[in-house]
Amino acid sequence: MVGSKRWKVGLLYVLAFAVLFVMVFPYLYMVLGSLSPWNEVDRKLIPSSLTLRSYEWLFQGGEDVVPRPWLRAFFNSVLVTSASTLLMLVTAVMVGYALSKVPFKGRQWVNNAILFQMFYPSIILLIPLFLIVRYFGWYNTYWAMILPKAVNLWAIFMYTNFFRSIPDELIEAAKMDGAGHFTIIRRIVWPMSRSITTIIFLFLFMERWVELLWDMLVVNNEKLLTLNVLLAQMFGPYGGYPGPMYAASVLLTLPILILFLLFSKNFKEGMQFILK
Amino acid sequence: MNKHAAKMGWLLASPYLIYSAIFFLIPLFWALFLAFTNWNLISPEYETVGMQNFLDAFFSPSVRAAFWVTYKFMLMFVPIVIAGSLFLALIIHHLPRWKGLFAVGYFLPYLASGVASSIVVKGVISYNSPLNQFLRNALGWDVDWLGSPILAPLVIALMMAWKFVGYYALLFLAGLESIPKEVYEAAEIDGVVGWKRVWYVTIPMLYPSFYTVTILAVGLMFGIFTEPYVLTGGGPEYATHTWQLEIYNQAFEKLNAGYGTAVAIINSIVTFASIFVFRKVLEKWGGKHGWE
Repeated sequence: MVGSKRWKVGLLYVLAFAVLFVMVFPYLYMVLGSLSPWNEVDRKLIPSSLTLRSYEWLFQGGEDVVPRPWLRAFFNSVLVTSASTLLMLVTAVMVGYALSKVPFKGRQWVNNAILFQMFYPSIILLIPLFLIVRYFGWYNTYWAMILPKAVNLWAIFMYTNFFRSIPDELIEAAKMDGAGHFTIIRRIVWPMSRSITTIIFLFLFMERWVELLWDMLVVNNEKLLTLNVLLAQMFGPYGGYPGPMYAASVLLTLPILILFLLFSKNFKEGMQFILK
Repeated sequence: MNKHAAKMGWLLASPYLIYSAIFFLIPLFWALFLAFTNWNLISPEYETVGMQNFLDAFFSPSVRAAFWVTYKFMLMFVPIVIAGSLFLALIIHHLPRWKGLFAVGYFLPYLASGVASSIVVKGVISYNSPLNQFLRNALGWDVDWLGSPILAPLVIALMMAWKFVGYYALLFLAGLESIPKEVYEAAEIDGVVGWKRVWYVTIPMLYPSFYTVTILAVGLMFGIFTEPYVLTGGGPEYATHTWQLEIYNQAFEKLNAGYGTAVAIINSIVTFASIFVFRKVLEKWGGKHGWE
């Protein structure tokens, strides 16, 4: 009886690791491809030797072919994503706090508007949004990539729900001590929401980081392209340089992975709230 | 005091209000107007054309392709992703140790950029890739993955499944963990064991998770852009031509902004209607079996 159970658990772990391998395989393939000699990329699974040539090529801008600002693109991605994510977090905390802890007339109305907007198919807005950005003169600027992505409805929704679980007494007590709303947010609400903030931050950052369509539309100046867009657009012309393609893919993937693994301790806790 | 609270409330909510006025309300009405014009995104002149855009879209082969391609994607993606994520959730659920580690590991694909994973997939199935070499040399199969109108959508569907399976597994896992032990014990007393237990206890109790995952997966199929854009460009012969590609091509490649907006409106109506039907069918199906 015990023997058969142990056997079953063993099999389960074999299965679990096999699946894990499948899930991680494309990442491994990407890294191996970026370290392979150029004549072995996409031809051999395990390269006969490892080389950093692809990365050197990338970090020198690939000058020997056509100069492409890969590092600049990486910097653009970091700038645009960080700014957007920061704004999305700050605005979501503010609005979420207002909707859960500040009783004001019209609160329910705002709440409903957000819910309606969340389920609204945003594709209809794509073309007019582009026109608005152009009208404001933001075409080919960082603003075009940051400001239309400064508020996130899902994040507001999540924070509103989370803040509702914070007891009102805490807020009242702080008010008694003479604290204003901004102080309450900074000193009480924000520190209490660390686990959910981790998750919201990760999701927002990840989604912003991999955005393709919008960033592709509003910017065509090579100096402002994000890494994701540059990678997508250079795919054709660089068909002959798969090594650097993989190196750039690694460059694109690494920051997200590092962030995620850094925060993975808080992951389960926060995820439980999100999935509820 | 109350007045102050009201002011504070509106002030704190103002980022949302300002944002929505500029980036939601104005574009919304603009879109409703644009859809009835023949504007070409550049010239200052345009005229209203009534329902012409909608009529054109109805008879357009590429719009029709996008319509059917979405359902084709769904047919491949939804069963794969549901079976796969349920499988992963069951594995994680039954592991005695390191649950979190595997959950995080399975979630990793969700973090990959569609561009990066498309590049990898394109490499894995390229002509001289180890996979194709093996298929050619060992089995004599010469497969043109992205050149076949059946395989190309399958490649994309599988890739999307790889990406989302770990995420949906978390939803199933939450469902599995919320099933009380007593239910299983009661079932065991009644002689419900083995596969019967899966069918009569686990699946009905998981119905809410099934419902959520199915609706999410169906909704996802209406918004695919990155993967076909990088992998196939919509080909071969419109086999992977999604709504988003059609809208993008029409508005920003062919500069038919008015027409593109009309297609976007049609797309959202089709999306809404489809999801509505799916919800009704699922609810009816669940209701018939006494699930909720």
